[in-house]
Order: sequence, then C-alpha cells, then structure tokens
Amino acid sequence: MSFLHAFTRNRGAVLGLIILALVALMAATASVVFPFSPWDMQGAPFAHPGEEGFLLGSDSLGRDVAAGIAHGAYVSLLIGAVSTLVGLAIGVSLGAIAGYAGGLMDDAIMRVTEIFQTVPSFILAVVLVAIFRPSLASIVAAIAIVSWPPVTRVVRAEFLTLRNREFVQAAEVLGRSRFAIIVHEILPNALSPIIVLASLMVASAVLLESALSFLGLGDPNLMSWGFMIGSGRSVIRLAWWMSVFPGLAIFLTVLALNLVGDGLADALNPRLSRRR
Amino acid sequence: MSILRFLLARMAKMVAVIATIVVVNFLLIHAAPGDPASVLAGQSGAADARFVEQLRHQFGLDQPLSTQLWLYVSSVATGDLGISHLQQRPVLDLILERLSATLILTLSAFAFSIAAGMALGVAAAQRAGSWIDSALTVLALGFYCTPIFWVGLMLVLVFSVSLDWLPSFGMMTIGAPLHGLARVQDIAAHLVLPALTLGLFYMAVYARMTRASMLDSLGQDYVRTARAKGVPEGRILRRHILRNALLPIVTLAGVQAGQLIGGSVLVETVFAWPGIGRLAFDALLARDYQVLLGVFLTTSIMVILFNLATDLLYLLIDPRMRPA
Amino acid sequence: MSLLRIENLTVALPQGAERPHAISDVSMSLDAGEILCIVGESGSGKSVSVAATMGLLPAALKITQGRILLDGTDILGFSPAQMRDMRGKRIGMIFQEPMTALNPLMRVRDQVAEIMQVHGAPVGNRVLELLEAVGLPNPATLARAYPHQLSGGQRQRVMIAIALALEPAILIADEPTTALDVTTQMQVLHLIRNIQQRRGMGVLFITHDFGVVAEIADRVVVMQQGAVVESGHVTEILQNPQHPYTLKLIAAVPHTTPPPRPAPPGHPITGRPILELVGVTKTYRGRGAVPAVHQASLRIGRGETLGLVGESGSGKSTLARAIVRLVIPESGAIRFHDTDLRPLSRGQWKPFRKRIQMVFQDPAASLNPRRRVGDIIAEGPVAHGEPRHKARARAIELLRLVQLDPGAADRFPHEFSGGQRQRIGIARALAMEPELLIADEPVSALDVSVQAQILELLEDLRVRLNLTMLFITHDLRVAAQICDRVAVMRRGIIVEQGPTAEVFANPTHDYTRALLDSIPGRRKNQT
Repeated sequence: MSFLHAFTRNRGAVLGLIILALVALMAATASVVFPFSPWDMQGAPFAHPGEEGFLLGSDSLGRDVAAGIAHGAYVSLLIGAVSTLVGLAIGVSLGAIAGYAGGLMDDAIMRVTEIFQTVPSFILAVVLVAIFRPSLASIVAAIAIVSWPPVTRVVRAEFLTLRNREFVQAAEVLGRSRFAIIVHEILPNALSPIIVLASLMVASAVLLESALSFLGLGDPNLMSWGFMIGSGRSVIRLAWWMSVFPGLAIFLTVLALNLVGDGLADALNPRLSRRR
Repeated sequence: MSILRFLLARMAKMVAVIATIVVVNFLLIHAAPGDPASVLAGQSGAADARFVEQLRHQFGLDQPLSTQLWLYVSSVATGDLGISHLQQRPVLDLILERLSATLILTLSAFAFSIAAGMALGVAAAQRAGSWIDSALTVLALGFYCTPIFWVGLMLVLVFSVSLDWLPSFGMMTIGAPLHGLARVQDIAAHLVLPALTLGLFYMAVYARMTRASMLDSLGQDYVRTARAKGVPEGRILRRHILRNALLPIVTLAGVQAGQLIGGSVLVETVFAWPGIGRLAFDALLARDYQVLLGVFLTTSIMVILFNLATDLLYLLIDPRMRPA
Repeated sequence: MSLLRIENLTVALPQGAERPHAISDVSMSLDAGEILCIVGESGSGKSVSVAATMGLLPAALKITQGRILLDGTDILGFSPAQMRDMRGKRIGMIFQEPMTALNPLMRVRDQVAEIMQVHGAPVGNRVLELLEAVGLPNPATLARAYPHQLSGGQRQRVMIAIALALEPAILIADEPTTALDVTTQMQVLHLIRNIQQRRGMGVLFITHDFGVVAEIADRVVVMQQGAVVESGHVTEILQNPQHPYTLKLIAAVPHTTPPPRPAPPGHPITGRPILELVGVTKTYRGRGAVPAVHQASLRIGRGETLGLVGESGSGKSTLARAIVRLVIPESGAIRFHDTDLRPLSRGQWKPFRKRIQMVFQDPAASLNPRRRVGDIIAEGPVAHGEPRHKARARAIELLRLVQLDPGAADRFPHEFSGGQRQRIGIARALAMEPELLIADEPVSALDVSVQAQILELLEDLRVRLNLTMLFITHDLRVAAQICDRVAVMRRGIIVEQGPTAEVFANPTHDYTRALLDSIPGRRKNQT
C-alpha cells in the first residue's frame, strides 16, 4: 500500500491537512482581504462580533480582531516552520554524530542534551527572548534552542540501533565511506520518526510562540495570536471575543498539525499504527 | 551501600547541572546587547546611576571576565542572587516568599493530573475501541492542542464571569483576613481554577500514556503466563499489568516536570496567583533581569529535585534498575 | 479413557487471512505417562491447538467445530471460572520465551506462590521444594531473586516449577527449549522427561525439531498447514515416515557424522595460511571487563572451510567481526597473507575490503529495506570505483549465480523470502570477488528445509570460485556438514580445533564432548 493511500485513508489526517491549507491561505491573503495594518484603529472600541462591520468584533483600541487573526496566521506559521527547521538542523546533526560515533563524543553530546532537557524549557525561552529583546530572530532562536533535545534523542536512538544493523555493517565491510553510510544507509531508514517529530514540533512551536507573545514577548512589529489573547485578558469580562477567537485559531492550527502528525506516523509505520 | 553510591552519583550530577545553569546565566548577562550593569539594572529607565555603579562594583565589571565569573558564581553559591531594582530587595527573599504559592499550585495540579489521567487511561484501555475510549482520545487531543493560558481564560469566562461559582483572581479574598479552616477553604476555592488549568493538559498526557502502556503490557508474555496459571483477571490487572504499566508513567512524570513548572508561569499570570511565575511576569514587564535569572535558576533546581524523586520511585518499582 | 482428547477441532481464522482455518479437523489424544510431540514448522497450527486446549486463543480466532475432552468432559462448555480453575490446577503450561514469560517486577518466590494462592492451596514450604525439584541450585537465594538475575535456563526451570506446583495431570510445553543454548536445552529436556516419568504425567510437547522429537517423544503427531498429516509411535515415524512432509522434516535435520570431504588444495597446517589470527583479544567497555574474545589464535589455509562453533555469548561473532574491523580488538595480530590488519586505519583497510567479505545472519536485517536489490549488490564495486552501469550488469549475472531471477534486481528486499534474501546477501559479498568469505550464522534464521538449500549453494560456490571460508555457527550439525576443520569456542576462548571428523569422533576437551552429547536425538539417530 502506497504512502499516499495510507495517509488519505486516515480521515483525521486529511481534515488536518485541509485546516492547515485554510490557515495557510488565510496567511497568504491577509493583506488582500484586510488591506490595512492590523494595528490601525478601524472603528469604535469593544464592538461586538458582527457589529459595525467587524466580523469578530473590535478590541479596546478599535482594532479589527478578524484582521489580527488573519495577519497573525502568517506569524504563527512562519515562526513554527522556521524554528522547527533550525531545531531539526541542530537536533539531527547532533543526534547523528552521537549515535554514529558513539564513545566519548556520544557521552559529551548526551550530557549537554540532558541539561537542556532538565531546564524548564519555557522559562529558558522567556529568559532568552527577554534578554536578547523580542524580535522575529530572537523568538525563532529561542524556540529552536529549547526544541532540539528531543530530536537529538530520537535520532541518536535510531542511529544507535541502525548502525548495528547488519545492512550497515555490510556497507562497512564493503568499504563504503562514513558519509555514504550515514546519508545513504542510515538516514533514509531513520526518516519516518524524524518527519513525524517535525510535524509535532511545528505544533509545539506555534503553542510556544503564542505563550511568549501572550507574556508580551512577541515581535513588537508583528501582530500575533498570543498577543491578542494577552491584551484581551484584563478586559475579559467586557469583551470575551478578544480572547476567544484568537484562541480558537491557535487551537485549530495546532490540532491540524497534530492530526497530520498522527496521520504521518500511521502511514509511515503501519505496523505500529495497527497496535494503537 | 550501592544505593548510597547511586545517590552520591546523582548528587554529583545535580551539582554539575546547577553549576552549568549558573554559568549560562552569567554568559547570558554578558551576551545581552549593552553594558552588563545596565542590563542588570534594567532598561526601563528607572535605574539610577548610583544603582548601576553599585552593580558595576558588585560584579567587578572592570576586572577580567574570569574574575567576574568567579565573583558571580561564588555570590550565587552563597545564596546571593542579586537585588531586584524594581523592588529594591534581594532576589532570594522575593523568591522564597513566593515559593510556597507555586509549590501549592504545581503539586496540586500534578496530583490531579496523575490521578485523573491514570483513571481515565485505565478505563480507556480496558474498553479499547469503545465510545469511552474514543471520547477520551478526542478529549486528550483537545487539551493537547489548546494553549494553557487560553484554557485558563475560558474557565474564568465560564466559572467566574458567567456562573460566578469560583474566584478568578489571586490566592485569597482581599480585605477579609480569614483564619483557620475558613482561610484554608478560601485558598482552596481560589486554587480550583488555576490547578485545573494547569492540570488538564497533563491529565490528557497521562491518560494517553496510561492507555498506551496498559495496552502494551496487556500483550506481554508474563500476562499469558498469569492466565495459564489460572490467575483471575482482576488480580492480573492489579499485580501484573498495572505495575508494569506504571514504569513509563513515572518516566514521563520526570520528563514533564520542567514543562509543568514552565506552565505555572502562564497560569499564575492569568490568575494573578502570587507565586514565582507571577514574579517572573512582573520582572519581565519591568526588565528586572536579576529576578528573571533567579527564577530560572530556582525552577531548574525544582525540576532537578523532582527528577531525583521520580528516579528514586523508579528504583523502588523496578528491580532491574537497582544496582547489583 | 484418555487423559486429554481433541476431536475434530476446527479453529477459524479471521476474514481475509491467507487460509480459512488456523487448524481444521484436528484430532489427537494424550494418555497418562506419555509424551506426545506435535511437530511442524511455523504456521502449521501446532500452537493454536494447545492454545485452544488452555482456553487461551486470541480473541480473533474462533472454534467452529469439535470437542476437547479432559477426563471425558468437554471443556469447550466450561464457564470462564471453570476454565480458570482448570488452568494451572489440571493442566500446567510452559512457553517458548523464558526471558519474557516471567513478570520482571515480581520475585521468583511470589510468582511461584501465586499459582497456589489463586487456587486456594497452602503455600507453606512448597516454593522451596518446587525450586529444588526442578534442579535449581540454592533455592532459598533464588526464591528472593528477580527474573533478570536468572539465566534463560534457570528461568525456564522456574516456569516448570510453577507449572508443576499443583501437580497437574497434564503438562503442555510449547517449544520450551527453542530459545535456549544446546547444552541448556538438553538439561531442560532431561528434566521434563524425568519429572514426567516420576509423576506419571501426560506431556504435550510442541517442537519443530525432529532431533528433539527423537530425544523425548513417545508418540508423534505431524502437522502441516493446520492439519494432522501423520501420527504414530516415535520409532515408527522416525524409521518409516509415510507422508512426504514428515520425510522432508526428518531429512532436513543435518546428520551429526561428518560426510567425507575432498582434501582442500593447500595443506592447512603446513602450507602458508591465507588468514592467521594470533592472540586476538577484545574486551567491550563496561561489561565487567571480561574479554569477549581472549587470546584467540587460528589459521585458515587456501580453499579450506573452517567452522567456528560455540553457543551464544561464546565470542564467535565478535571474533568474526574483529577480522573485518567491525570491532577493533585491543591486542593480537590478524594476518592476511603478509599484512597485519589490526593496526590499519579505516582508509588503509579499504583495499582489503575487496578481498575479504562477509555474509550475515539475519536476512531480514542485512539488506537495506529502502534500496533495490540491484543497487545493494552493485554498491560495493561502485564504492571501489567501478562504473555504475558495469556494476549493475554484473549484479544481474550474480543473481543468476545464486539461482535467483535477474528480474530481482529491480525489486525491494521485502518482496523476497528469507532464503532468497540470504542468496542476495551472498551475491553482494561475491560481487567483490573475495578470496576469503566469512559467513556469520548464515542459516540459523532460516526454516530447516531452506537451511539445507543455502548450505548446498555455499558449498557449490566455494568449489566453483575457489573460496576460502570461515563459517560461524552454533549448530554442530551444520558444521559437520560443510567444514573441513572446526574450532570450538567457549566464553571467549578457543578450547579445541582440528579436522572435523577427528573432533567429532574424539573430542579432547570436556566442553566439546558436552556440546556433542547435547545434540538432540544424536544417540537415537545413530543407532
């Protein structure tokens, strides 16, 4: 059964993919549908959803909540994707080196990984962004720095088992180079858990970004969902819609990413999925 | 004897981790844009020149980096975490004042999440494939995908704003000094929403884990052996399946400790719970970095201690882990 | 009246399985005081038959027809409570995997006591008595131990102690010795036989190995594809098998007497050896510093097949891997012609990769699942500079050489059976045109009938291509068939080496003798 077939058979995964496509579409067309800055006042403050031409209401400064959500989608997806890529790059290289080289190298890398896993990662991210001033770059860096350790662990474990598998030993005996063995023999067989992990990492990066901007650590020039919830927090008795709608946006995006991740896991490893 | 050696090795490792974090803190201060003294004093504009000068002297900023590191590490080692420029008080005092509130919140959230999560997980595993199982899977996925601070706000919206059942703010009713049992009741009422907020996510995590590890040990050979012995199903569940299923849950609890404490920062912010998370949030607003770094160090130590506890628990449950 | 009688039992497989029934119309009976062996390869339905008897069938399998009579009562009509009461009390059972059959978190004492507790029998001193009865040393210490502190053989003895605790009239043993080393296997077989005779129990013994049958059975039932194809008294079946499948199974058991072999071209002892190991020692870090291989020395002459024989953990695989630098020994010399290979770096080793090749044990794990067979075979020559199209063309020739269809080159490993994959592994090694071929347990993961074909292929190739071979195996019967000389390894030390026929006829070391005595069915086979 082909991968695509297995994936599309999973209804949750297809639903996730559709939601994700819609969010991406929203991000791409935000400046067309709402051709103004989401920071600009568009009307009366605290307008209820549906009133005064505000589909999802307006906030305490008369800004359009719907426009904020549309523009925020771009920030969430961008930060989610880029920080995951950076985190993967760090995690996969460290994990591959530790798992393939073994010995002292492995010990050293795993010690560092352990420390990063012990430290409360969210607080570390807060400290990093706060000290280096909130910006797109510092947020991406902070999320990447706290999210690579699980990748390293998974990749290392895969490499450790795979490097002792007989087909890898056969490649050694045939005299292939280390690089060829890592790239052609081991990595393709370790790819499925990495792909699954990546989709879940994007999900947790979106959550992490929203938490940072909720605390006021978002990029001050970019509208983001977490910031919107944060600014609605103190006026929740007055304007529930200011926190409810951005929260739903986060929920749906993260849910979609998780569904896609589960679908990938099932499709890439049919043996495991049958057991679940 | 060998248990003692294990403990000593663990202690040594803990000290090494803490030392690393202290050094990282030091490096962060120096890596931050701007002069370390003004970084520590905060850019809020509130810092006066005399305070900056005092910091300069305290950290020996005119001396080589290695001396500075030594000064920093030795002052942290003696419990001096610096002074909050916002409150003009030692950071350690501020943290210690608020530690108990955070402990109450995180421990009750943890207790709730593990009890409710395991109960749900066992129920789902026993009826794998039924509607209860599916409902649990959906519920778990739901909590898994929701930002924790938003769950808090929604609970406030429902239980405080709409229904007016529970307080949504602080740890005690302000302006009504209560004593004895009434005080405990008051705190408990204030605790419900924050603890639930923090606990629901982890409840989902533990429920999923319990279900998976129950199903896993269900298929093990020793369960078949127990059946072949004629052991009744109830006893098989208690003595053979559940005990083995506990191991990955304990491991997970250790791994999640850091996240739990991180989550408490958000929850304390939402509910104005007077713990160190709220302290961190206030410090953030005022760019009070000494406090922030102090909170980072303290929470790291909390995680390390929690991990030690789970390691000991694991040792207690699993004889294979015990040193020979 | 028989103790246990299975009548016309049919168990349906779930829809969409490769055949409609797991077993169909199976009948057999077991009397007190006898051992009945059920023999068959994997998928023959032998385990399903006994699982039905114990009421331990997986939920997906349903009994559609038949009766199972225990002392004349049909147990298929039992309530769950009656069934539970029967299990352990009237029928005891032991399983194949002693490593996982015991609860890792409970002490041995508690696991043995549990069967008495749940059946309401007094425990008292019984646990220690039972542990002693199954021949465990130091019962008092062992009772306090956890399963992970016991060896495989000891765990299987604990399982037997549990099964015997309530003195059941019937013992069911599902391949109880398959996962054990040969010497341990023989001890456990003797134990079962002794206890059975002492107590007059009926034993239902499942196995795939006719050697074990010869060792232990009174009567035999042969199963194939879910049906009984032959049954009868053990001597009758062994000496005069009627069904072709039985014949095939018996023929697949290698003989223990080495067949006569033509002398290899070079004299192994006096001529210059191709490979000579001198005092090779390898210690893995962090394993109590006991060397996995200790001072191993041996030589292989041109055109010769040397068998390296030993049980699991004897260090034979480590030694084989040391020769090809998969593990790096800390001392000794590995001389290939005139070069000591041990001190060479990865780069310096590369030219020798063409001359020394290896065939691995597990055909499922030794081929990269994501690459096509043609690429797998061609990758070695390509790594040594041969143009890709040329290497691919040669891969197709090599597939013919190992008797596979050339079309195999474009397919993936998972599309082939175990035996076919092992042929691909052999082709990959031969693509380098090596002088020395190291075969690490190349047949131990295969079904017996396939084993014989692969051994034949290796022997044929060795002669045609003038290969020198180091053949690693745990199975003395296999070594007897294809090795000119054998070296016996135990706990990292080579205890004996010499021409195969000589070692088999007159073993000088006690361990070799013990190994030879442990070959199932040896004595009965030879009479």
